[in-house]
Amino acid sequence: MSLFKSNSSQTELAVDVPQAKPADSSMKTFLKRLKKDKWLYLLLIPGLLYFIVFKYAPMWGLIIAFQDYSPFKGVLGSEWVGFDHFKNFFQNPDFFRLLRNTFILAVLDLVFFFPAPIILALLLNELRINLYKRTVQTLIYVPHFMSWVIIASITYIFFTTSGGVANEIVAHFYGKEINFLSSPDWFRPLIMGQIIWKETGWGTVIFLAALATVDQEQYEAAIVDGAGRFRRLWHVTLPAVRSTIIVLLILRLGNFLDTGFQQIFLMTNSLNRDVADVFDTYVYFVGITQGAFSYSTAVGLFKSVVGIILVLGANKLAKKMGQEGIF
Amino acid sequence: MKQSKKWSRNKIAFPILSSMLVASLAACGGNEENNASGEGSEDSITIMTTAYTTEPPAEDSPALKELEEFTGKDITMNWVLDSAYADKLNITLASGNLPEIIMIPTKLPSFVSAVRDDAFWELGPYLKDYPNLSQANEITLQNSSIDGKIYGIYRARPLGRNGVIIRKDWLTNLGMENPKTIDEFYNTMKAFTEKDPDGNGKNDTYGMVISKYTGPFDVMQTWFGAPNKWGEDKDGKLQPDFMTDEYFEAQKFFKKLYDEGLINEDFAVMDPQKWGDPLLNGQAGTIVDVLDRAHRAEETMLQAKPELKEPLDVFGAVEGPNGLFNLPTSGYSGMLAIPKASVETEEELKEVLAFIDKLSEKEAQVLAYNGVEGTHYELEGDQYKPLVELTDPRANEFVDLNQFQTGIPENRFYTEELTPLIEKEEQVKVENEEIVVPNPAEALLSEVYAQKGQQLDNIINDARIKFIVGQIDEAGFKEAIELWKTSGGNDYIEEINKLYKEAQK
Amino acid sequence: MGMPKMHNTPGGRIFDVVNFVVLGVIGILMIIPFLYVIAGSFATEAELTSRSFFIFPETFTLEAYEYIFSTDRFIRSILVSIGVTVVGTIVCLFFTFSMAYPLSRRNLAGRNLFMNMVVFSMMFSGGMIPTYIVVKSLGLLDSYWALILPIAINPFNLIIVKTFFQNIPIELEESAKVDGCTELGIFWRIMLPLSKPVIATFALFYAVAIWNDFFSALLYISDSSKWPVQVLLQQIILLSQSTIGDTAATGAEYVTPPDQSLKLAVVVIATLPILIIYPFLQKHFAKGMLLGSVKG
Repeated sequence: MSLFKSNSSQTELAVDVPQAKPADSSMKTFLKRLKKDKWLYLLLIPGLLYFIVFKYAPMWGLIIAFQDYSPFKGVLGSEWVGFDHFKNFFQNPDFFRLLRNTFILAVLDLVFFFPAPIILALLLNELRINLYKRTVQTLIYVPHFMSWVIIASITYIFFTTSGGVANEIVAHFYGKEINFLSSPDWFRPLIMGQIIWKETGWGTVIFLAALATVDQEQYEAAIVDGAGRFRRLWHVTLPAVRSTIIVLLILRLGNFLDTGFQQIFLMTNSLNRDVADVFDTYVYFVGITQGAFSYSTAVGLFKSVVGIILVLGANKLAKKMGQEGIF
Repeated sequence: MKQSKKWSRNKIAFPILSSMLVASLAACGGNEENNASGEGSEDSITIMTTAYTTEPPAEDSPALKELEEFTGKDITMNWVLDSAYADKLNITLASGNLPEIIMIPTKLPSFVSAVRDDAFWELGPYLKDYPNLSQANEITLQNSSIDGKIYGIYRARPLGRNGVIIRKDWLTNLGMENPKTIDEFYNTMKAFTEKDPDGNGKNDTYGMVISKYTGPFDVMQTWFGAPNKWGEDKDGKLQPDFMTDEYFEAQKFFKKLYDEGLINEDFAVMDPQKWGDPLLNGQAGTIVDVLDRAHRAEETMLQAKPELKEPLDVFGAVEGPNGLFNLPTSGYSGMLAIPKASVETEEELKEVLAFIDKLSEKEAQVLAYNGVEGTHYELEGDQYKPLVELTDPRANEFVDLNQFQTGIPENRFYTEELTPLIEKEEQVKVENEEIVVPNPAEALLSEVYAQKGQQLDNIINDARIKFIVGQIDEAGFKEAIELWKTSGGNDYIEEINKLYKEAQK
Repeated sequence: MGMPKMHNTPGGRIFDVVNFVVLGVIGILMIIPFLYVIAGSFATEAELTSRSFFIFPETFTLEAYEYIFSTDRFIRSILVSIGVTVVGTIVCLFFTFSMAYPLSRRNLAGRNLFMNMVVFSMMFSGGMIPTYIVVKSLGLLDSYWALILPIAINPFNLIIVKTFFQNIPIELEESAKVDGCTELGIFWRIMLPLSKPVIATFALFYAVAIWNDFFSALLYISDSSKWPVQVLLQQIILLSQSTIGDTAATGAEYVTPPDQSLKLAVVVIATLPILIIYPFLQKHFAKGMLLGSVKG
């Protein structure tokens, strides 16, 4: 029994606090709080200044989505076109293909990549030999620092049908080579593979930090109760990282339609373009190479609106389910 | 105890940090003017251009100082690494703080729109007054124009830069010579693949290496007589290259090369950075690219295998059913434009143009390409001898100074004694100029293309690759053309023809 | 510290062995490409073009490194990177933690407004040109602060730090208040010391972000002596791409593409310093530090 008691002291917090609020809110204590809070507001000032100066002051740039912006003329001199860019974007014959490709990659990312660091962190957490654990941690953290250009180059070296190492292994067991790089069917697995390879180790850092907050006494109590490996994982370890997982998941939804532009750009070729074109590569060509600032801002705005809807929705859902959400 | 100690440390850290921030913000306030335009002094000039080295010539560079002396101008350089050039250019246009001379890498939409808003001087009428600039190449001027007018002085590049690089020793081994016709070219590819040209008894060679970058196809299809992007049909109307029969003949030829294994099987996905490797390590016998690749490749090959002696040869093109053709480059790489915001009067404009003109004098070109005599190079009689290699840090005192050189009318700087291969490259470049196919629509700026160009290009490029590897047949290719038309291609054709007619008036 | 002694069932032992092996294999798979990069940086050009993949070069050469260190350019840029990263990390941590703490206090008036502001700014951004104009009007052009201040708070990090603060038991705060601590005192004396692993984590995040950022430097710094090493890396990688075909035809043909080994050596040089800090920060991720120290 003590297992469940000690472990819930953490999660109860979330539920406890909102209840504590009305109790506190008698007039007297409220005023007292406000006076004390002056220190909190003081702490808040540098951060608020940062957001105002570097995030909100440049925000006027968004209005160029409704203009035919030209840098030379500036925002004041550029012509207003209303929702024309949005109309063009939605009526683009490629719109649904772009949406489909982006959406599928985003979902795959959520299903395959998102859990990968959690699982890896949990496995690392179970390692008994500290030196070994640290060594593995350091090794898996390295790929994060390799640029996509290098990774794309190495992927080509490994997977090409002209003597690629991976393909030779495949040919050995499967009897023939597979066109990993040109086949549309293999594009998404390849992209997922690359991202999992590159970022999983890096992603574990935050979960390892969260796991570091687990109270050792809870483990001891669980052992006294005779809980096995799996039950300890389920009842002690996971609850400790749950809030981190939820926060990260909600934040990830905010960038739902973002795909790694450079990665996809480098892996695209004439034979797999049908499945490879996403909003980000499209915006790159139209926006950067053709200099259509307004159009690319409009597309970005669309992605942002989708992102914010998802974040607010997920946050609400999390709260309904008794979790904290992000705010 | 422990905690209170930390507390006192933190107590100090907080004010230090915040005062540091405030101080830094205040201290930096003075820097604001440091990339301001050179307005004010008559003799000063500010130039914004690309830097390719990570340490471009600084104020105290002896080469820059001599260049200032020669031109009589106080030059302020505004170097921008080429990785950020387009962004920096847009920012500069937006901030309104423009230099006197600004290098425009391509006809960026933001530049075109600024030109149309009268932000830059039209230079065409003035060029005739300057000894060097007046000799500018008409075709290149035409190519670099916007709406038929000159707004920037182009930086000249050889028009006939494309060609074929081929293993000379393999040809010799097989008792063959440089191919002259498409059929001979095919036979050479076949022999390179099947007849063991390197004589090692193994079947480990093939004809030609191609990468994901489709430039070689664009070059080779002109051999068949396909136009350069746009060609006139029998009614004198422009039509895109891929609607011609010659184009399709070329695709069938590529397909044949691919089907018979004469080009690398993985070309459609090959990392362009690895493109040259099969040539260097003796797997592939030819590569179609810019000619200057040849001597760079030869150097690397000789490093690994000195016994090869002269492994490579170059030629421009092979003859097709309709004659001998090659694909040109646009003949220029970026242009120097003069904004009205920083150069306000015609008087000043003339002075800036005189400065640019003077940069083409031999003395200025030598400073920009060879550096300072005695420091970076010396002359033994007529022969130029570099004293510093390009990789030497001292070379950074002059290397990027050529980024505001126009090279009009010709290159006048010193060159090293040429190897036979480089000499051949130069000769082929000259010969190429006779056979290059101009693009009649090169100077025309299409609105449709600005919006949908990439999508349109992708449709055709993808169809072409799919046809070559056999994923679609001729009917499939025709379908792609239909798709191209309905995706905006028809509007594009119409617009180009309208512009073409206007330009011919 | 370390794990407490646990019962180990036979199943548990099998799991341990499998886990040991699986993680080892994963570790090797993830490091192999980097080993190739290191090997390639010591290899000759001929070997790089003829062998597709290797971890030990046949002929070992230091040419690429000799070239890199033949001038003080790389050393200087690495020093710039280290300086900017160290100062930047401290500044970023200061901004992030000082803002996250008040936002984690549930009864702070206006908290929801501030949080909305933070979340909104994650999704919507004004873009490059307006941000440049802000940086310029603050007089930060050509100043190292331009590489730090515009990215002083990553909203993503801020929200996670806030969540960590929220998870610290409320009793602690209450008891500190009984002892007469101000909110500021609680923050400095209790909350910060308790969040050492969190500080270590976000120090790492910020350090890596600042170290890897090259675009800010390209935009805001025109004085080449102030460029961090990532700018040099970016330039070398770009040069090896821009000498391909048509880009070369319209670009700078007088620029010779860098050797592949040089490119790989620059990757190694630009990556190693930031890789090294991880093992040092790792010890702060030791188990039980947060709540353990609360109770102890």
